[in-house]
Amino acid sequence: MVDKAQVISLCRSLLRAGRQYPDYNIREYAKRRTLDGFRMNKSLADPSKVEEAYAEGKKQLEVVERVVKVYLAYPPKTKNIMELKLQ
Amino acid sequence: MTSKAVFSTIRRSLTKPRGGAVSRGHHLSTSAATASESYASDEHAILMKGVRISGRPLYLDMQSTTPLDPRVFDAMNASSIYDYGNPHSRTHLYGWEAENAVEVARIQVAKLIGASSKEIVFLSGATEANNTVVKGVMHFYKDKKRHVITTQTEHKCVLDSCRHLQQEGFEVTYLPVKTDGLVDLEMLRESIRPDTGLVSVMAVNNEIGVVQPMEEIGRICKEHKIPFHTDAAQAIGKIPVDVEKWNVSFMSMSGHKIYGPKGVGAMYVRRRPRVRLEPLMNGGGQERGLRSGTLATQQVVGFGVACELAMKEMEYDEKWIKRLQERLLNGVREKLDGVVVNGSLESRYAGNLNLSFAYVEGESLLMGLKEVAVSSGSACTSASLEPSYVLRALGVDEDMAHTSIRFGIGRFTTEEEIDKAVELTVKQVEKLREMSPLYEMVKDGIDIKNIQWSQH
Repeated sequence: MVDKAQVISLCRSLLRAGRQYPDYNIREYAKRRTLDGFRMNKSLADPSKVEEAYAEGKKQLEVVERVVKVYLAYPPKTKNIMELKLQ
Repeated sequence: MTSKAVFSTIRRSLTKPRGGAVSRGHHLSTSAATASESYASDEHAILMKGVRISGRPLYLDMQSTTPLDPRVFDAMNASSIYDYGNPHSRTHLYGWEAENAVEVARIQVAKLIGASSKEIVFLSGATEANNTVVKGVMHFYKDKKRHVITTQTEHKCVLDSCRHLQQEGFEVTYLPVKTDGLVDLEMLRESIRPDTGLVSVMAVNNEIGVVQPMEEIGRICKEHKIPFHTDAAQAIGKIPVDVEKWNVSFMSMSGHKIYGPKGVGAMYVRRRPRVRLEPLMNGGGQERGLRSGTLATQQVVGFGVACELAMKEMEYDEKWIKRLQERLLNGVREKLDGVVVNGSLESRYAGNLNLSFAYVEGESLLMGLKEVAVSSGSACTSASLEPSYVLRALGVDEDMAHTSIRFGIGRFTTEEEIDKAVELTVKQVEKLREMSPLYEMVKDGIDIKNIQWSQH
């Protein structure tokens, strides 16, 4: 049975992992998609659906953590204009 | 001397970033428009092809290609390492594993378009699929069918294949389009002849983004029992695609337009009712004999995952992209007049916005928008100075066709990027119009078309 604390912890882990992407667009997308994903499933009542969504989220967390390691192994040589502007 | 200093600056900045703006003195005149924005650290400046920009431009060219989705990248990595067997080797585990991976991808692609996995053929891209279908179908039925119908706004590969067929002696009708980019169904009906072997109409145009009335065209083709081919490279994963509803017999798909890898594509070939085609690549008979050659397993796996993702995310992406498109269009229209959207605004894929700015010169507009990666015309035709044939087919005037900019919005585009693009475009257009004597004349109320230019 998946409880509220686990869901919040999963969301936080996904956000933290997504923040590490070196690419501006993918980083922003990871944040937006995670928050929207959890928001869309907020009102799920059926416990099996909740389990399903949680398992899906866990799988996505594994993917992000793996991929971020590879992306960081090849750091970008130039900064995106959007990142410079934000300075 | 100048470039040496700049390059040594970039080299130094890669090893130890410093806060000093060392190369500010070396302005090049071509980048005058962008160099006026001084960023905090000039050491990240990029110098390429004589243009200097302070950082990577923001990417708004999703119709020419899309970045790889990290989830697709993940699947491809695993596949590259482990699925190295030849999928056509029947005798050992390596072949079986690779074949399994390919079959999984086949099912993923088929589900996206509502087909059966047995009807999907993998090849190197939509260009190859278009060539195979157009030439293959006509060559197979060359005794009875000598006529092909297509539109004037098709992709270059379809038009070029048709030209090749014309040289072989077939006849091709290039249907004109209405000013909103849509095909006239009555004209299509009239051009059908008893010896018409193929109708080819692309679902979503890559330059102007209009969505053709696929169901109606499919119905007309079914009535007359003519195979219907569609180039759906820009359509799959973006608008709902169903081969049964559209009644297509052939469909071309491309991997790198839906956040998948480049170098892979697929062709849908209907099995019921069966349509035959002559293969372009002869060899060992792989892919139902329609495309021989060893499949690039990890590319195919990437394409499959990209299709599955696209199916899951289609609704979410559509909402986001529509929102960004409205923001872009309204943002530009608020500050500028004389902005024309090329192609129908109603029957359109939201992620493709092709705008023409009146009284502005096209090349200089593009030169000034170096911080936004956009395209004018399509990537296939931008090497020549000719205005795009698609815009000409729409009936757009030459001068408006030259100033057309195609903004491509995608899954990864952010609101801040759209705002920045609006800001840069508006600034550049206003600057060019300020310098333009034609615009002054228009503001004074003179009608440009009726001017008698004097010969000196």
